[in-house]
Amino acid sequence: MSIPKQEIMQSNHLACPGCGAALAMRLALKALGKNTMVVIPACCWTIINGTHGNNFAGVPVFHTAFATTAAVAAGIKATLEKQGKDDITVMGWAGDGGTFDIGLQALSGAAERNDDIIYVCYDNEAYMNTGIQRSSATPIGAETTTTPSPTVKDRPKKDLMEIVAAHDVPYIASATISYPNDLIKKFEKAKSKRGFKLIHIFSPCPPGHKFPENKTIEISKLAVETGVFLLYEIEDGKYKINKKPKFRELDDYLNAQGRFRNTPEEQREALKEFIRKRWEKLLIKAENFG
Amino acid sequence: MKRLVLGGNDAVAYAIKQSYVDVVSAYPITPQTSIIEKIASFIGKGEMDAQFIKVESEHSAMAAAMGASAAGGRVFTATSSQGLLLMHEVLHWAAGASLPIVMANANRAIAPPWSIWAEQTDSLSQRDTGWIQLYASNSQEAYDLVFLAFRLAERVKNPAMVCMDGFLVTHTKEPVAVFGEEINSFISKKETNALLDVENPIAVGALAFPNVYMPLKLEQNNRILSAKNVFYELSNEFEQISQRKYNQVYTYGEDKADVALVAMGSNAETAHLAVELLAKDGIKAKLVKVVMFRPFPKEELSKALEGVEKVVVFDRNISMGKGGIVKDEIAGALGLGNVIGVVCGLGGVDVSETDMAKVSRGVLDGKVKDDMILWGEV
Repeated sequence: MSIPKQEIMQSNHLACPGCGAALAMRLALKALGKNTMVVIPACCWTIINGTHGNNFAGVPVFHTAFATTAAVAAGIKATLEKQGKDDITVMGWAGDGGTFDIGLQALSGAAERNDDIIYVCYDNEAYMNTGIQRSSATPIGAETTTTPSPTVKDRPKKDLMEIVAAHDVPYIASATISYPNDLIKKFEKAKSKRGFKLIHIFSPCPPGHKFPENKTIEISKLAVETGVFLLYEIEDGKYKINKKPKFRELDDYLNAQGRFRNTPEEQREALKEFIRKRWEKLLIKAENFG
Repeated sequence: MKRLVLGGNDAVAYAIKQSYVDVVSAYPITPQTSIIEKIASFIGKGEMDAQFIKVESEHSAMAAAMGASAAGGRVFTATSSQGLLLMHEVLHWAAGASLPIVMANANRAIAPPWSIWAEQTDSLSQRDTGWIQLYASNSQEAYDLVFLAFRLAERVKNPAMVCMDGFLVTHTKEPVAVFGEEINSFISKKETNALLDVENPIAVGALAFPNVYMPLKLEQNNRILSAKNVFYELSNEFEQISQRKYNQVYTYGEDKADVALVAMGSNAETAHLAVELLAKDGIKAKLVKVVMFRPFPKEELSKALEGVEKVVVFDRNISMGKGGIVKDEIAGALGLGNVIGVVCGLGGVDVSETDMAKVSRGVLDGKVKDDMILWGEV
């Protein structure tokens, strides 16, 4: 397959140079097309989409309160269903703070009801828009402004995919921008399925993760190759691993980012252990529920 | 038109059934719950064609209502007390985004301690959220105000709340004149308000720098202020069908009264009797009932209170550290120095017509010189 040529998202948006979240939206909209409505809570995309009068997404956007993404999307879809407009896709587009933390209740509500929306979490692993504070998506060992060295984060990243999987919804997938074909395929699949869909996108952030702005794709790729971010799908309860990690040295990934500069050895080991266990669990699920 | 015996909650549910509502999004809370149960039953029986989103919280109830409204649907929700407080953030958002959502609120006291009984501190705490607020004092008004609220909200592009005292209005069964098809011409008039349109992709609520923000907020203020004039128009149209006339302020008793008893919600029903008790003692009294609290009906109140020697405001609410909220609003907005505030009936405590009459007489006689709290022996 090839990446659709159509460009719905406009250039001149307000993202930082090298922003993974901007590229993620561009690719997502290539897959979803013009008949899409997007709900955006407080997050980097509040800024990226432009100030009043602008709309760089190029499709209708409803900016909303932090905790409300999934509920607002569900409301939009309810009206569209009542109006018989079945050809419009409704997408919630939130950061990790708005998803893993403050928006989790509304997300759980929409997933449990199986509302016909695509919920996307573009995950840059901290509150980047407010200037790099830890979220429950921040990995063990990462430094943020609220987990400054030597008090780096000492708890593992919350497992969003499995939380949503516990709601028994039709489609859940992880994706990242360095695998654009895989990402687009997942959005196309999500669009074609009725009910609640989650796409979890790993989205590197140069100022937040502290790496040069021309390294975004490389970091995204390293996350997959080291097993930090696993590419898989849960379709109607069936697990499918899309890319088996090469398990490159984790240090290749950590040393490329300033946020892990002060990570003590103990936390590095904890992170390695976390990656190993998570992969083992996923393998068991893929073998037994594949 | 037929007569049914309905509580305020039933009356609201019947009005919703007749209002061509597209989406209902709600979460249960006493004493509102029977509204949404009845709506669910109407939908279940096929008597009403609407989507019902059974959300997991009031915060999400209002959020889903926003989405549904932004996509152009006619939307209803209902809540009370803690639920309304949880919605607070999203109430501001709905008003700021100019979404004509209609909500019923069963006025209930705020915890702690837990209470499920009548008090208006919940909705009055939402005074500054930008919502139109209408207060019903009986089942008939609850029914009628729902129709007016939809038309008003859609005309001025601003959400509207219909409030009624918990149990005292929500559950007190009274005869209500219920419309047949004659209401269709009034209520089926929908203004289109689809903010979200794939043919015209705008971003709603985008970041505004100070010089952009302020004019947008002033525009919002003008929208809700315009509800006063639009209410006259719609009320006339409604009267043609119902033979019932609604004003922002309702009066009863002596035109040229010495004392005015001001009340909102169920207290106003009781105050009718207090006015009659005072009249028996030869005191010229009138009831001034606030039907529309936001936008504030300054002109109508000013007219109703003109020439009155003393004004006594009975507030079933309290702003801690200050006193009755409606009293302060009236004294402040009209610049009156002859207003005495009476905080009463918190958490569902009974307020009797004899107490109202006694206090009003005391104010007129000069025995009550300052704001007071009605508690125990009067």
